[in-house]
Amino acid sequence: MMTALSTTRTTEAASKAVPAPTPRRTLSEGMVAAIFLAPAVIAVLVLRIWPTGLALWQSIHVGSAGTFGLANYTFLFSDPSFHDALSATLLFALIVNPFQIACALGLALVLHRALPAGALWRTLILLPVAVPQSVSAIIMGVVFRPDGPANALLATIGLPAQGFLTTPDQALYTIILIVSWIGVGYWMTFLLAGLKEIPFALYEAAVIDGATAWQQFRYITLPQLRRPLTFVLVADTVANFLVFAPVQILTKGGPQGSTNLIMNDIYTRGFLSGDVRGAAAETGILVGIVVIVVAIQFRMMTGGKSE
Amino acid sequence: MNRKQTVPLLVIAIGAAAAAMLPLIWAGISALRPSAEIFRYLSPLSIHTFVPTQVTFENVIALWNGPFARAMLNSAVVTAITVLLGLVICSMAAFALAALNYRGRGVVFAAMIVSFLIPFDSIAVPLAQVFRDLNLQNSYAGLILPGIGNGLAVFLLRQFFLGIPRELAEAAMVDGLGWFGIFTRIYLPLSKPALIGAGLILFVFQWQAYLWPLLIAPDPDYHVASVAIASFAGQYDVDYGQMFGGAVFTALLPMAVLLVFQRYFIASFATTGSKD
Repeated sequence: MMTALSTTRTTEAASKAVPAPTPRRTLSEGMVAAIFLAPAVIAVLVLRIWPTGLALWQSIHVGSAGTFGLANYTFLFSDPSFHDALSATLLFALIVNPFQIACALGLALVLHRALPAGALWRTLILLPVAVPQSVSAIIMGVVFRPDGPANALLATIGLPAQGFLTTPDQALYTIILIVSWIGVGYWMTFLLAGLKEIPFALYEAAVIDGATAWQQFRYITLPQLRRPLTFVLVADTVANFLVFAPVQILTKGGPQGSTNLIMNDIYTRGFLSGDVRGAAAETGILVGIVVIVVAIQFRMMTGGKSE
Repeated sequence: MNRKQTVPLLVIAIGAAAAAMLPLIWAGISALRPSAEIFRYLSPLSIHTFVPTQVTFENVIALWNGPFARAMLNSAVVTAITVLLGLVICSMAAFALAALNYRGRGVVFAAMIVSFLIPFDSIAVPLAQVFRDLNLQNSYAGLILPGIGNGLAVFLLRQFFLGIPRELAEAAMVDGLGWFGIFTRIYLPLSKPALIGAGLILFVFQWQAYLWPLLIAPDPDYHVASVAIASFAGQYDVDYGQMFGGAVFTALLPMAVLLVFQRYFIASFATTGSKD
């Protein structure tokens, strides 16, 4: 403690000896920083740390006597409805993430070329990004009604009508299409920004060497795009773990639990069924998964300078 | 690029643009039709799928005379206050993390960004309990507060502030300016693009929020637009005309903002995503 205090004093004294200081500068920079940081730190504590701590605290509370244990977690893992939610979420993540990123990358590559009216197409594809998830759920829910425009389109090109959200084996895939309406344009924007950073000289050199379009993509575009691609992969994965509005508005997790993604399960458990501790344990599991992914994301946003 | 390539690429671009816009256009047109006509001209697809035989403003008028008007106003108030308060808090934090030198700055930065990167929705259910204990349910404060601290906004502003040379601050100090003056008179005026980018992040977060308002403000007086339109879909006898009208109006404002500020939006994407 003494040492810490005296160090602060010495730094202050040292900074007073530097030519720049003025009489107005009475607080050390650390103190000023503390004042500037205070509102944000309070926000972090109240809005992130407190609820996370509360969820973890509740999740280890067992029984009415207030004893502690992991019974809420073991109960959760023995609950078939949680198994279904977990497997639906994983299946969803396994399909939606590669699908969205492939579409986003493909479109970014197309729009990166000098097309006639290119800026117009880019803007039109980007615009749904601004559409709130609940709005997209409402509109796309009607589009995919059995008597809606999607089946009308299928009928026009001679294909049989589909059940979409009403059948257990199609509902999850329909939710994937619905969230991708917004998602693809959003993630495409990151990749388009990444493509702009690739030096054109690399392609010129490749053309001189006689590289084919595929070789250019494989040996120039992909490696140069590695950073934004990894970022998009991580951020997209986190976002898709948390899909809620389309499920809650359109299917409530059904039919037969086929679209019961983890956020909807937490909401149903904690808010509709009143199983606060079960929801807390499930929140703990979700936050655990997400924190790992987010830590990777943070490293990519800030680190990598050494590479 | 030769012509042979341009045509198929153009077809893909136009097809994607159509897929992106047609659902919205169809919803907008449906809002201007008598409710009975909405599903009538779908199969087979014809010109009347998109061109109404009869235009009516009945749905739109009924919509704005109903509870949706109040929800739109709530959304506007909540979002505007969120952006203003959020910019103050996030830019102050970013200033402390970029312009000031002190021990442990890197640790504070990492801790703050990682905590904020925990997606808000994942802790929304326990946070709703905290807010109910604090008696913040069904209030503007309850709706606004979660939106004011945003890790991406802090990150974006900090990156921008780092690019402002410290000599400027030191020169200002010689002229008698304190740190607060340096913040408001030098850093903020120089950072308009980053402030717009951060403002957009805060705006989009709050305007599209759905889970949180659903949890914390079940009282129809405090419904925001995204919740109000979802409650249309939950009714037994869905009024599709009004529902589509509400959906399109809720989407229009953020789309207009995005159109105007597209440049800043894309620039902020580049900062978070692809820069080393």
